[in-house]
Amino acid sequence: MSATDQTDTGGAALRIEGLKFRHAGGGPGWLIDVASLRLGAGEQMLLTAPSGAGKSTLLQLIAGLMDPQEGTVEVAGQEVHALRGAARDAFRGRRIGMIFQTFQLLNGFTALENVELAMMLGGIGAGERRGRAAELLRQLGIERPEAEPERLSVGQQQRVAVARALACGPKLVLADEPTASLDPETAAGAMDVIQESCRAAGAALLCVSHDPAMGARFARRERLGGGVRAAAGV
Amino acid sequence: MTDLTLVRKSLLARLPSTVVTVLTVGVAVALLLLLLSMREAGRQSFQRGTGDMHILVSADASPLASVLNSVFYAAAPARALRMDIYEKIAEDPRLEYAIPVQQGDNFRGFPTMATVPAFFEKFRPEAGANGRGFRLRAGAFMKDTFDVVLGAGVAEATGAKVGDKLVITHGAGRGTPKVEGMSPEEADMHVHDEFPYVIAGILEPTGSAHDRAVFISLDSTWIIHADERRHADARAAGRPAESVPEPTKENLRPEEKLITGVYIRVKTREGSEGSPAIGAVFDQLRRDVRLTVARPSREIDRLLEIIGNIDRILIAIAAVVLVSSAISIALALYNSMEQRRRQIAVLRVLGASKRRVFGLVMTESAILGLLGAGVGAAAAALGTGVVVAELQRRTGLVVDPTLEVRAFVAVAMGAVVLACLAGVLPAVMAYRTTVQRGLRAVG
Repeated sequence: MSATDQTDTGGAALRIEGLKFRHAGGGPGWLIDVASLRLGAGEQMLLTAPSGAGKSTLLQLIAGLMDPQEGTVEVAGQEVHALRGAARDAFRGRRIGMIFQTFQLLNGFTALENVELAMMLGGIGAGERRGRAAELLRQLGIERPEAEPERLSVGQQQRVAVARALACGPKLVLADEPTASLDPETAAGAMDVIQESCRAAGAALLCVSHDPAMGARFARRERLGGGVRAAAGV
Repeated sequence: MTDLTLVRKSLLARLPSTVVTVLTVGVAVALLLLLLSMREAGRQSFQRGTGDMHILVSADASPLASVLNSVFYAAAPARALRMDIYEKIAEDPRLEYAIPVQQGDNFRGFPTMATVPAFFEKFRPEAGANGRGFRLRAGAFMKDTFDVVLGAGVAEATGAKVGDKLVITHGAGRGTPKVEGMSPEEADMHVHDEFPYVIAGILEPTGSAHDRAVFISLDSTWIIHADERRHADARAAGRPAESVPEPTKENLRPEEKLITGVYIRVKTREGSEGSPAIGAVFDQLRRDVRLTVARPSREIDRLLEIIGNIDRILIAIAAVVLVSSAISIALALYNSMEQRRRQIAVLRVLGASKRRVFGLVMTESAILGLLGAGVGAAAAALGTGVVVAELQRRTGLVVDPTLEVRAFVAVAMGAVVLACLAGVLPAVMAYRTTVQRGLRAVG
């Protein structure tokens, strides 16, 4: 078993220790300063913070898209930043799903292809991709998987984005302001889909949002404070 | 879905830009392939086309014009020589042959070559001592005065068969010599329908300009033109047409027996092309100021030298066009990068490595080059056909273009390599695209 395949199946989906980050030339203080944070397998947590507090940066650090100056991030037992280059990217593709505020679905690709693409990059064999993607979209209630996302309703687009995030059976789903561009009714529906889908897939969900109304949906809530220091409890 | 699917979708998403870029590369590749294939074929065709003659005598303005007109049928020779000049030349015992020819008329645009039986018996249209002579595909060589033998190209183009009758038209369509008593328009339009010819034979292809010639006897053309001239003279003098004596071989006057050239071969040792006598005969003939004396092989070398300089320039231009097409690939990809940052960021989030993203852009670039090479090869194949036909129509040059596989592969590979080089900068941009920058919504 390679290093990238190591997973802590019985333990935390996410473990952060002493994570510190600031942009180059970004001043003396830390933008991200998380002393310790643990998210159990299948657990769901809301992380709130005002705009500009570094929520998205934290998610990118967790996903291994950025390197911290200090600290460690473990996803499913694998220290993300210990992996280099393509190995880290492959790990991200397989173990971490991401959902964005504006969905970030690819134009020119059908809903099915958007999901298949994630599976291809996540290393799922060509033979099983189409069937799995179609089934996933069916489960999420996508009526026209062969349609391009821009021809689908906003709610359906959100579901395709969720399907893509769950395509490779991730241990952790990172949702970045997933409802910020939706009206309250659609937002509620979208959050239902995200939370239920993650629950069904057994994936932990870390949702960042500045929307206080989201609080009621999560049993566990933490606040990333002031852009200088955050200490989320274990 | 594969990485190629991503590349294909990316190219299709920018279809107009993709098409323009591919066409730009295609034009450059076509130009290069066309020039490379035509260059060697043209050279061979010219060298082959002069046949085994050593010297050409005419009254043309220059030796090169004389060769182009009298051997390649580029235009009707502008001036004529009297037969007695030929007879004097032919007395030289150093000559293997001296064959009189006269050009100036045409059959459906194909130039006539009026000559004597020795043209078929002695002159070899393929260069070199071992070149093949004329061979018949059908029928026989000329026996009667108004027999005609068709070059292979003429028979093919017109569908004419042995035994068919045809009439020739005055003028070769270009640079028609003057006919006394007729306006140039009348002369050009004048059909010699009072003197029909019978097709006696059809030649096998020789790969030379003679394939598009219509061979008639000197006697016949003299009779036709003597008849014309005598009637014109009678009209000018106010005499009735009935008073004009019908021209025959026997009653032709010396001034009615005109030729436009003499094909000459000097005697050489068997199997040899060279002889000191060639230079001596050449120098002796040049002393006669009435004559334009050419050594066809030298004139063709001179012509090829001129063409060689031009085709080097053309090939350089084509290479520059290919390089600029590579720049257009770079620009197309560079311009698309801004729109594709989001796509690249999404691919990165989904697990694509930077190297894979780099590879995708490079593949896209290589495919543009490959498509361009394909389009170029197809265009070159079509273009070659057009150029060959046009060259044959305008100059009589029968070109058989061939392109070595190696040259084709080199040009196609060159296009792909240049396209890849053009893709490096956009690929590096893609490689360096950060997810933060790509996904602006991620704050």
